[in-house]
This record gives sequence, structure tokens and C-alpha cells, in this order.
Amino acid sequence: MSRRRVVALFRRVVSEIRRDRPSLALLFIAPIVITGLVTFILRESQAPQVTAVVVNLAGTRGQLVGSALGAALREGGATVSDVADEAAARAAIGDKAASVGIVIGTDAATGSSLTITAITNGLDPSGEASQVSAVGRAVVAAASSASGTAVPVIRHTTVYGTPTNDPITTFAPAIVGFFAYFFVYILTGVSFLRERTGGTLERLLATPVTRGEVVIGYTLGFGLFATIQVAVLMLWALGSLHVPALGPLPPFSIGLGVAVNGSPLLAFVVVVLLAVGAVSLGIFLSTFARTELQIIQFIPIVLAPQFLLSGVLFPVSSLPSILQPVVAIMPLNYAVDGLRQVFIRGADLGVPALQLDLAVLAVVAAFFATIAALTIRRDVV
Amino acid sequence: MSLQAAPHVEGAGSPPAIRALGLVKSFGALRAVDNITFDLAPGRIYGLLGPNGSGKTTLIRLLAGLTPPTAGWAEVLGTRMPSRPNLSRIGYMTQADGVYSALTVAENARFFGAMYGVVGAEPAAAALGLVDLADRRASIVGTLSGGQRRRLSLACALIHRPPVLFLDEPTVGVDPLLRVQFWSHFRALADAGTTIVVSSHVMDEADRCDELLFVRSGKIIARGTGLEIRAQAGTADLEQAFLRLGGDVDVTR
Repeated sequence: MSRRRVVALFRRVVSEIRRDRPSLALLFIAPIVITGLVTFILRESQAPQVTAVVVNLAGTRGQLVGSALGAALREGGATVSDVADEAAARAAIGDKAASVGIVIGTDAATGSSLTITAITNGLDPSGEASQVSAVGRAVVAAASSASGTAVPVIRHTTVYGTPTNDPITTFAPAIVGFFAYFFVYILTGVSFLRERTGGTLERLLATPVTRGEVVIGYTLGFGLFATIQVAVLMLWALGSLHVPALGPLPPFSIGLGVAVNGSPLLAFVVVVLLAVGAVSLGIFLSTFARTELQIIQFIPIVLAPQFLLSGVLFPVSSLPSILQPVVAIMPLNYAVDGLRQVFIRGADLGVPALQLDLAVLAVVAAFFATIAALTIRRDVV
Repeated sequence: MSLQAAPHVEGAGSPPAIRALGLVKSFGALRAVDNITFDLAPGRIYGLLGPNGSGKTTLIRLLAGLTPPTAGWAEVLGTRMPSRPNLSRIGYMTQADGVYSALTVAENARFFGAMYGVVGAEPAAAALGLVDLADRRASIVGTLSGGQRRRLSLACALIHRPPVLFLDEPTVGVDPLLRVQFWSHFRALADAGTTIVVSSHVMDEADRCDELLFVRSGKIIARGTGLEIRAQAGTADLEQAFLRLGGDVDVTR
């Protein structure tokens, strides 16, 4: 192992990226824009406006139910009007004059049962689910006021951290990990592919450099940028710099201000281990690519499953049981878990769950570094 | 008479710089290099001539130890290839430029110097001076002309002053003036004791070599000086000689 050669490789990789402005933008600006946008959407997402039309098919008793429901809906900020029949309700929803139709079934007339049908458009299932749940809340409220009992209050506490309504709290650790992985993989994969196709790898391998030195030099070079990227992203995610009102500008703050309970330094270690694995993964996968487009084509195969199965978007606990063994082999899963352990639980190195995450990430990084080194000398024909 | 492993009179006393012994490289059913044996004496320029796809590059890669042979072996300066330590005594100019476009001329030279274990900035400066790139040291390689890139590529192969130099089609895309300069560099290096193997498919470069090896379908079909080969084939035209020695009928232009 020659320190001089490793340093020369490291400096070369750094010089190349330093002069590559689009790559720098990809590394440092894209994650900030995307996390900022995601945070804004999650925090500022509006409760959808409910415009209900009520159809009563149950005579006088139905009218009582309808007026109680209508009152509860108006209490919740909804607009409520009555229409003659279901066809009129459907037409109103189709014309976007109403967002939900409430049909009080004929059985309400008997008093022995009560069927309420909610009608929605059907084009936007997740948005319409909130319409239906608004109807549900109104039913509970109407029933409790009819019976004279208060709606029970559910209090929520957590073992780790404090429950928060800030949706970004669990999302921020996952997204920091994912970005580090994603961008480092793309940059290393494309960069190493250029080595292969541009003839520089052939020339490099005609020197006494060892494959291990190449992998270490690359890992240090891209590791440096991954480290800076994570540092910038963490400052952005955790920091919150308040800017007071200036002239016509309202006061605003820079940074997402995500609460973190553990040591940011430890979170850093988790991400750096993940990024080291991503460098080797990029080198390894460049073996199977002939063009830069093919490096991009590996994203759906290699990165998309990790994105879906590592708790970035969907909680791991909600994934089908048949997928759980697959989750267990996703490197990103351990990084996301490790980051959540640090961010939310405030875990230190004494916590076994975090120890496991760090150990798995270290083993994965070592594994990919080894196979990357072994595949470097594959013939470029 | 066996054309392969023809004993060489000049420098016969010194051990060969490069040896190939029954060298074979197969890619599936294709034998890219098919049982090649030769000794190359130090301090001479050998021209490896043959059409595209005849196996020249594969032969050079085998000699430089960049790919393991299917059978036989190669020796450079008495060491059997592939040998990683021996690579510091070999210079290899690839067919592609093989330089980093985002780096400056000087950064490329220093980088490859460091890979060969060369210490200090002086060898890089000397190699760039040799190919007349000293005044472009600070230029980003991506902004250079094709000929300048080719010169840098040569400089990167010379930086560690290797006693053995493999040049894979070094003059492709090089203008006539620069080509003359290249060949005078090669001659000066050979005079100083460097053994040079140059591959080319341009026959007009052949007469600048001390000795020619005609490669066809992975075999050496003829070896000798330009004059010897012409005499053997009975034609003054090397191109015709190549076709005749390869068993083709004459192609009259």
C-alpha cells in the first residue's frame, strides 16, 4: 500500500469533481431544494375543504340525523347543503360543486339501523379519504352530542422523544441517508465508468497501482464530498436561522429546524459509513455498464427497492411480511434506522440497536469495497 | 525457415528485453493471439504491423501483463508477466488518449508520475518538455486539440523513463509534422537504450522501425527489416508484401 499513490488518487478525484459544476450542484443544491420542498409540503399541507351535499331518504327521522350531521360538519369548517336525491348529489360532485355526498339510508326511518353512504369523486383516493374521515368525525361528534356524552380524548406519548405533529421529524433522518447514498452512487458510478470507457483505467492498471489503492483513493475522494454534503444537509435540516422582518419582507427562517435528540456527530458516522458503501457499489456496478445511461438504469434496480423498503417513505413495520427478509438486507434500512435512533431516540454508542446498524453498515461497506476491488481489473474489450 | 523467434544479430550478446513464448489469448472461440513466440533485443524499435482486429492490441496487453494469457507467457526484462512491480519499468501509451479531461496537463503528468512512484515535479516537467507541452502546463486537457492530447498521452507514458515502451497506434489522428516529431522522439529514446514496440496499421511508418513484425489473425506472419521483408516477398511495396506474405492474391491499385 503506497500512501503517495492513494493521496494522488484522492487528489485527482477531488480536482475532477471540484471543476465539475453540475456535479457540485447535484451534490449540494439539489438535496437542499428537495428537502426544503418536501418539508414545506408536509408542514404546510392544508386540510382539504369539505363541501358536503346531504341526501335524506328517511323522512323525518332522517332529517333529524341530517341536521345533526350538518351541524357537526359545519362545526368542523365544512360547507353543507341539502339536495333532493342521490343523482343530484352525484351530479354536484361530478361538477365539483361538492366534494362529498352524504346519503342517509332508508333504514334510518325505522330507527333500528342507520346506514350512511359517503360518495366521493373517485379520482383522488388519498385526498378523498380525508373527506370520508371528516364525515366519520362528524358522525362521532353528532352521536356524542345526541347522547350527551363527550367525545373521548386520546393522549399520545412515546418511549423515545416526544410526540410531535411535525411530520418532518421522522422523515428528515431518512432523507439525509437516502440523499447521501443516491448522489454518491451516481457520481462514483459515472466517474468510474468514464475511467473504464475513456481508457484511463487501462492506463492506470498499466502502472504499479494496486486495486486496493484505487478503491481507497476513490473512497477517500468521494467520501470527502459525501462528508461535506452530509454536513451541509445536516446543518440545513437541524439548523434554524431566524431572519427578522426586513422592510416589506415578512420574517422567515433558514433551515428546517428539525429537532434532534442525539449527537449529530454520531448521525454523521452512520451516513459516512453508508456513503463509503455507495462508493464501492458505484465502482462495482460500473463493471456491468457500458454507457453512463446504464448507470442511471441501475437506479430502478438498485436504489428504488431500497427507497421503498428502507422506511424512507413507508414505515418498515407496515410492509408485507413476505418483504421483511428483503428489508433485512437493504443497507439503506440500517442507515435510516441508525439515523432515527440518533435523531429521535437520542441513542449513543451504548444502544444495541445502533451498534447493530453501525456494524451492518461497516460490514456492507467492507464487502462492497472487496468486490469492487476484485472487479476493477475486468477486461475492457 | 521459421519466421518466429528469428535470432537477431545485433545485440545478440545481451539478453532480450521482451520475450514471448507460445503466447495464446482466446476470447471464447476466437484466438486473438495465436501461439506467438519471439525475442526482442533492447534498444531497438519494433513495428507491430497489421490490419485492425489482427491482435496487435491484445498482444501488447499480454506483453505488458494487463491481461493473463490463455497459454504460454511473456517476459519483460527477464521478469515473467503479469508482474505488478515490473510495471514501473514499462511505459504504455494506449490507443485511446487515456488522460483526464477535467485535469490540467501538469496534473495529468504528476498523477501518472505518482502512480509510477516518481517523486517530485521535475520528471513531469521534463516529460512535458519532451513533447513540447511545457507552455500548456496549466491548460485543462478538455480544451486541448487532438494532437496535443496525443502528446500528453505520450508524455504520461514516458514520465518514469521506462526501459521498455509499448506504443499502441501512437500516431493515429496525428498530423504529419507531429508524426515526424514523434518518430524523432522514439528514435532518440531507442538510441538511449529504450526498447520500443510500436503498433500501427500505417505502412508508411514501417520504415522508421528497426524491425517489423507482421501480425495477421493473431499470428506473426513475417519478421525482419523493411528490406528483408521486401526481398522475401519480392516486391518494393510493403503493403503488397503484407498481402503476399499473408497468402492473399495481389491487389492492384
